[in-house]
Amino acid sequence: MKRSKRFVSELLSNLRDNIQRTGDPLGIKSVYWTRWAKGLNLPREGETVLLTARMYQMLPYIMQVTKLISSAKPLLSRGGFGAMVNMGNRLMGDKIIRLRALGAQSLRSKSKSALRGIVSALAAVDQRPAYLYEDEPYSGVLLYDLGLDEYIESHISKVYGVLKSHNVRKVIGVDPHTTFMLKEVYPRYIDNYDIEVKHYLEILSEGGEALKKSCKKGPEKEFVIHDSCYMTRSLGIIDQLRMVTESLGITLLEPENTKSDTACCGGPIEYAFRDLTEKVSRTRIQELSSICKNVVVVCPICLINLSKYEQEMGINVCDMGELLLGALQVSPGNGLDRPI
Amino acid sequence: MDLTDDEMTKNTLLKEIGKCRACRFCVDVCPAYQATEWVESMAPYGRLQIIKYLLNGTLDEDDPLVYSLYTCLQCGRCDLLCKAKGQDLEVSNLIRMGKCLLSQGLVKGKKNEKV
Repeated sequence: MKRSKRFVSELLSNLRDNIQRTGDPLGIKSVYWTRWAKGLNLPREGETVLLTARMYQMLPYIMQVTKLISSAKPLLSRGGFGAMVNMGNRLMGDKIIRLRALGAQSLRSKSKSALRGIVSALAAVDQRPAYLYEDEPYSGVLLYDLGLDEYIESHISKVYGVLKSHNVRKVIGVDPHTTFMLKEVYPRYIDNYDIEVKHYLEILSEGGEALKKSCKKGPEKEFVIHDSCYMTRSLGIIDQLRMVTESLGITLLEPENTKSDTACCGGPIEYAFRDLTEKVSRTRIQELSSICKNVVVVCPICLINLSKYEQEMGINVCDMGELLLGALQVSPGNGLDRPI
Repeated sequence: MDLTDDEMTKNTLLKEIGKCRACRFCVDVCPAYQATEWVESMAPYGRLQIIKYLLNGTLDEDDPLVYSLYTCLQCGRCDLLCKAKGQDLEVSNLIRMGKCLLSQGLVKGKKNEKV
């Protein structure tokens, strides 16, 4: 709590500068968000696009950034040092974060599998959206969450401009935060907003029996579900997730706080208040693991916050996309058109 | 007299916060409140009171108040309870609007920078 005012000030200023300078909340200039799609040969243009908004791909980097912020917190809270850290971030931060993120193999693998699972499941219901690769923008959700509204408008205009320049008419979101931004926040800033926005679970649940038919019959498995706050309370996507898991032949167990009454994973404040996040996430994972050792989540922020307890508690935390990949029995290393 | 966007936001916030009936049902469900072992300034009701007193000048922004507002998870569980109890305030959005006014003073390079 000590020196929170200066600390928050440094973080807000850094975030604003990063987004204005690079379009990326972490200030990373090099394209780190397209590796998951290597070998898939997804179309680069199309009226319907899959918008990852870099959220899953960002996970290994977020992990390193929160560690760095946490260790530099005493410095950031002091005026002169804050400016030095900021300068260091501009000059070297990009490289340091990228180098340290190389070690986060598990998260890297989870995020790749999740995205590939989503694409293969969409293909199973005859949806083959385009992917913008290097041109894919970040949604700006962190600006919104932190109340940096005066900087949102210009960012949203840029993102909308990118989508329109690619003639996008429909967006398929893979995470609840981006889907919420494009569906609920963007229309407040763009006159005559004309992009249809859907979450991939909505599309899969509308696909009827197609997904079920594509799934290979495996051993029956039980998972406890951790619903996402934004997904349930802001987007109302509750039954769709349950319909999809049923198609996969998975038995879903409900914890005490579930559906629209789900409990937060603590992720949204991890960027600054790691101690408090730790307390919130620990409470939630204890609640979930007391029901079942297999936990399924549907949000990258929940994935990073709850999967850190895997070793300590002997549990398995999976993203819904990973389950889809497993059920469709597609190798994460191969093209999706080559099931194994 | 034309009001600026900030003044309109302040008026809206004060008007909406004024509708709170202090039933405190939002307090117990807040994950940050639970994690900080029952400190009411870390709960939605407490945060709304902080915003109210910051706006009417009773309080000045300081470290504990900034900590309280920026540790809101924006999870929206308080909204659900407020609706269930018949008041239907968008509590988490009011806190976000409060943060929005505060962020203008905290972000560097602004003429109203207060840090």
